[in-house]
Amino acid sequence: MTDPLLTSLLAAVEAAPADVPLRLHVAELLLSRDRAAEALQHTSTALSHAPGDPAALALLQKVTKALADPPNPPTNPLPTVHPPTQPFPVRSLPQPTEGDPAAFDWGHAEEQVRDISPAPAFVAQEGDPVTEDVERATRPSVRLADVGGMEQVKERLELSFLGPVRNPEMARAFGKSAGGGLLLYGPPGCGKTFLARAVAGELGASFTEIGIADILDMWVGNSERNLRAVFDAARRKAPHVLFFDEVDALGQKRSHLTHSSTLRNTVNTLLAEMSGENAGVYVLGATNHPWDIDSALRRPGRFDRMLLVLPPDEGARAAILRQNLEKRPVEGIDLAKLVKATGHFSGADLTHLCDTAAERALADSMRTGQVRPLTMKDLQAALAEVRPSTGPWFATARNVALFADHDGSYDDLAAYLKKHRRL
Amino acid sequence: MSSAFDLALRAEQLGQLGRLAEAERAAREALAVDPENPRLLGTLSSTLLLAERYDEGLAVAEAACAAGPGLERPHRLRALHLSMLGRHAEAVQAGYAAVTIEPAEPAAAHGYAKVLQRAGRPLDAVRVATRVVELDPDSASAHLLLADVASDLKDRRHRELARREYETTLRIDPENAAAKHDLALLDARSRRPAKALAGLVQAGRLDPAMPQVLRTVVAVLWQLSWRVRIWLIVGTFPALAVAATPAVVVRSYAGFVLVATAALGWWTSRDLPRGTWPVLRRAVTTDRPLTVTYAALALCLLVYLSVVVTGFGLAAVAVWILLIALGWLAVFVRVVRRAPR
Repeated sequence: MTDPLLTSLLAAVEAAPADVPLRLHVAELLLSRDRAAEALQHTSTALSHAPGDPAALALLQKVTKALADPPNPPTNPLPTVHPPTQPFPVRSLPQPTEGDPAAFDWGHAEEQVRDISPAPAFVAQEGDPVTEDVERATRPSVRLADVGGMEQVKERLELSFLGPVRNPEMARAFGKSAGGGLLLYGPPGCGKTFLARAVAGELGASFTEIGIADILDMWVGNSERNLRAVFDAARRKAPHVLFFDEVDALGQKRSHLTHSSTLRNTVNTLLAEMSGENAGVYVLGATNHPWDIDSALRRPGRFDRMLLVLPPDEGARAAILRQNLEKRPVEGIDLAKLVKATGHFSGADLTHLCDTAAERALADSMRTGQVRPLTMKDLQAALAEVRPSTGPWFATARNVALFADHDGSYDDLAAYLKKHRRL
Repeated sequence: MSSAFDLALRAEQLGQLGRLAEAERAAREALAVDPENPRLLGTLSSTLLLAERYDEGLAVAEAACAAGPGLERPHRLRALHLSMLGRHAEAVQAGYAAVTIEPAEPAAAHGYAKVLQRAGRPLDAVRVATRVVELDPDSASAHLLLADVASDLKDRRHRELARREYETTLRIDPENAAAKHDLALLDARSRRPAKALAGLVQAGRLDPAMPQVLRTVVAVLWQLSWRVRIWLIVGTFPALAVAATPAVVVRSYAGFVLVATAALGWWTSRDLPRGTWPVLRRAVTTDRPLTVTYAALALCLLVYLSVVVTGFGLAAVAVWILLIALGWLAVFVRVVRRAPR
């Protein structure tokens, strides 16, 4: 299927790749011949040479529409496109010769590359794996109901964040904003990331976890650029939950960063992006040290809601222990007793406890050559070895509740510490 | 794959964020690519310094000095590691080498001043810290260094210098919790406990994770308890002297002691910021002997109250007994806490 006009025009485009009107003309011809994918490539190239060119933009719209709504199989023969009677306004076209690329058999070449998927129109810039993460993010299947125990946390989450987001009109009527971010804080290993996933699941939004390594770049300006790219990608992907893990590293108090203008600028960019137009983008953060976060990040519209995620309560501990033990050979496990003995253990500590007990049973089994199930004795021995890792966090948290709760930000923490006689 | 230079930059950035394990990993990866590079060795040594792993850090700093003897930073890092290991004479030599190589580099002088301070040469440290301020007058850390080394000297001139420098630090960086804490400590040493307490509460608010704040509050409360004891000792002499006089005189005097104590309490606490009381309560209960001391002082006031009610002046003897017991307790606590462990 050769079209002499198109063949010669394509040769001309190849000879003069920066000629925008010529390329657009070719793209129009391709579109009229139902070769929208090729037309899109040419339109995109034209736009890269002349960004904002109105003719190119108009054509791009036509091409994307054609791609989105492929035409019905033609019932009538295609209208014939007559070659222009006048020479092309930009340049006179060379006549194709035998050795010219114009004489190249494009139809045959297309056949040869048919199995190669076409390149995307706009190639993501190299070095942006984090943007790719956002683009490829999926909706988590986990919901709040899948979080074992932690009823208080779930209730507060529903009241302070999910409720206003789901009912923005009602929230507005009561003077509450549905926007702004949510900061989850608490000792390490207590399921902040899992909760964030569950929030995304509840909102039916896709979810991306952003770590410090995704953003920080040693070259000046790149960290800020990465952060902006992440927010832009999330806006395109809305509804989307952007979850900043260990946000204290990215949003550290600027007064602590006097020696690093790069890090200070990163905090400034985070502040600016969070204050921007983020419809459909839910920003969640998690930190073990909310007191190290720049105070500007806690202002309205940014992380204006804080939620304390404490070590698992009895119900949650039972669920975690059961989950850790159910796939192992066990015998005579008194779960209630175990739950009582593991107060202040984080989820990670409970997993470590079960692993330690399993190691004992495994070692015994290997010695005797017979599988010995994991028993309460193994777990009690493990309990003597594994201490809750939340201790140092609570030691600092006590000071925080004492000194830094003048605005009521840490009321939940103070109440918990008082209840457990730690304050 | 990142180049060694990229990894070194990354390690330094992570070190600044306090993510020392990741910083160390990046620095070691960089060194795997270029093991003789003095800059990379310096980066690893500085990370180990922040991680308080001085033995390892010293070995790396020495390798850096060998790889780049003409560079200032390896010598500075070597000096700081030696100083933290208590090898002060060698540390001072290494610090001097650093400032000789780059006399106009504030970081070199900063390190040397620290080394001199730890080596017990505060006057020399003040001279070097003054040079740091001259080299970098807009840096809060330069002024804080000068304030810290000057506060080690007990004379009035250096105390004034320290106070001025702490104030300058806070003017440049109003959220500098360390400066706030150290200024409060200076106030406590200058016998201004109320001002010290206010400063400590503010320091705690700026950086609640700073563990020394509560310890310093405890120290200031000991200082305050000493003042109350002195006042009660002085006040009890006349109480005993008027014990044999008519009940109305005894009652009036006991009432005066109570009112004067309340007035002193108000005078001391009038400028304390809101939210100080929970901190004070916590500090008192943190330290058992201090709890006993304040409980005994409260008992002394109850004795005076009983004198007001009953007119029985000789009850003030109980105050004497309690104060003598508190004196012994204070001596015992001081001896035990100062004993080398």
